[in-house]
Amino acid sequence: MREKVRQILGIAVLNGKFIQRQPLWIFQGFIMACGFAVTLFFWGGNAALRNLVIAYFITGGWGLGLNTVAQIIGWNRVQLLYDFYVASPVTLPTYFVGTILGSMPLFITSVIPATIIAIILEMDFSFIIPIILLAATSAVIGQFTSLSVILRLKKPTNISAITNPLYVFTTILPPVYYPLTFISPILRPFILIVPTASLMELSRWFAGVPIATNVVFPLISTISWLILTTILVAKKLRWGLE
Amino acid sequence: MRNDAVRAVELGRKYEEIWGLRNCTFTVKSGEMAVLVGPNGAGKTTTVKVLTTILKPSKGKAEVLGMDIVKDFKKIRKRIAYLPQGCRIDLNLTPLETIKWSLVARGLSLAEANLQSKKWIELMGLSNCKDRTGWTLSGGEIRRVCVAMALATEAELIFLDEPTAGLDVETRHKTWKILREAVKEGVTILLTTHDMTEAETIADTAILINEGNTLIQETPQKLVKSLPYQYKIIVRKDEFKALSSSDIIDLGDRLILYAEDSKAVETLLSQFNDLTNVLAINKTGLEDAYLRLIHGIKP
Repeated sequence: MREKVRQILGIAVLNGKFIQRQPLWIFQGFIMACGFAVTLFFWGGNAALRNLVIAYFITGGWGLGLNTVAQIIGWNRVQLLYDFYVASPVTLPTYFVGTILGSMPLFITSVIPATIIAIILEMDFSFIIPIILLAATSAVIGQFTSLSVILRLKKPTNISAITNPLYVFTTILPPVYYPLTFISPILRPFILIVPTASLMELSRWFAGVPIATNVVFPLISTISWLILTTILVAKKLRWGLE
Repeated sequence: MRNDAVRAVELGRKYEEIWGLRNCTFTVKSGEMAVLVGPNGAGKTTTVKVLTTILKPSKGKAEVLGMDIVKDFKKIRKRIAYLPQGCRIDLNLTPLETIKWSLVARGLSLAEANLQSKKWIELMGLSNCKDRTGWTLSGGEIRRVCVAMALATEAELIFLDEPTAGLDVETRHKTWKILREAVKEGVTILLTTHDMTEAETIADTAILINEGNTLIQETPQKLVKSLPYQYKIIVRKDEFKALSSSDIIDLGDRLILYAEDSKAVETLLSQFNDLTNVLAINKTGLEDAYLRLIHGIKP
């Protein structure tokens, strides 16, 4: 057990040091989160901020998985550090957990403003545990979505050129920072195919915010994404013996 | 009698329709430095990747430290270390951090990793840059950090895929010295290179490989001794148009002539009107043995 903890710690530092060495990433994340909160408050008042608190957990987890962790794993493969770890006592679970832990400071940049806003708005914190669990689910689906694309690339590519647009497409356009009720009822089931839209609907439901569809639809969508991306990644991601 | 650290029997690996490795058979004894030599695309990296359990073999069998590479891959990984060819480090870390945290990632305690990393920083001559991030290091320094990452594990068996590629002569010599010292301490090393001089200098046993097949495994000294020539002479072609035999290698405007002994050298030189056309006279080496082998001439 002690060895496993050390392995996780080692991988976390090796894969997360870039955040400490380039603290402007954190600063950028924090400023963006605060700026976005101010913008939404002026246009949508407290209701927009309440949605934003939930959205920051979901998009924070989504960004952690889809963008940061998948990029680190992708780069580790390009730099052949992945092979270095495979031919060592490091295991796939310790590698994953270590990489996620190492990237955590970037997740915190959106969680801190979310918590401050929630305190100011005197929001009920009873929903926090399900939201954190959904943020973790969001991170897993995000990571697997990214990896299922990255691991199938034949040509050497700048990985961030794929994960960054993917992040923008899945968070800015669908109803994440705005409610699903703004979308025509006919289109809502189709919109829920987007994993972030479904995760947000589930989170709103847990937070007691009225939602636009039956909770079963986003639940089915989320579970389907989890299964689909797990299968897609499992087919390509190998920890040795490829 | 020493145990076999590596035993490969008719090992092969296919990438979709192409065989990256066809038929590789060799053994590496514990505590020796084995060098896998061959040109680019010979199958050296594939061999190492199969032995380090990164790739699954398509045919044949192999044992590493007495364990089957497919069945016992988890146990093997705990006792080996591998430096991939062209492996790059995260430039945000300093050499000391890179080595220390990669040791922690293998399960060493912080105190052990600290001691070990400092020791290898010193040994690899990286003390003057140990606290600088990778962004400010030279290519050679980065490569040395990579080699140190593998050696600092002090694993029983270390696989190094072209560890000295891109290093200057002096650094290469320093690295060879460290590798030989590690072998003296009882570590087994399997190293790949396409540099015959490197193989001849540091190998206890050389495994010559070409087009995915092992050609021969022997000590470099025996391979060189098996050559029917002791010398090779590099000359300008213009002066030596008349001769044509299998003892000559054509290099365009230059030729390599082989001579059995010093007398044969004298005889060859006497045929030159202008000795400035004789560019070099060298002792034959592993490279010459290799060239003969790939042309099908067994020693």
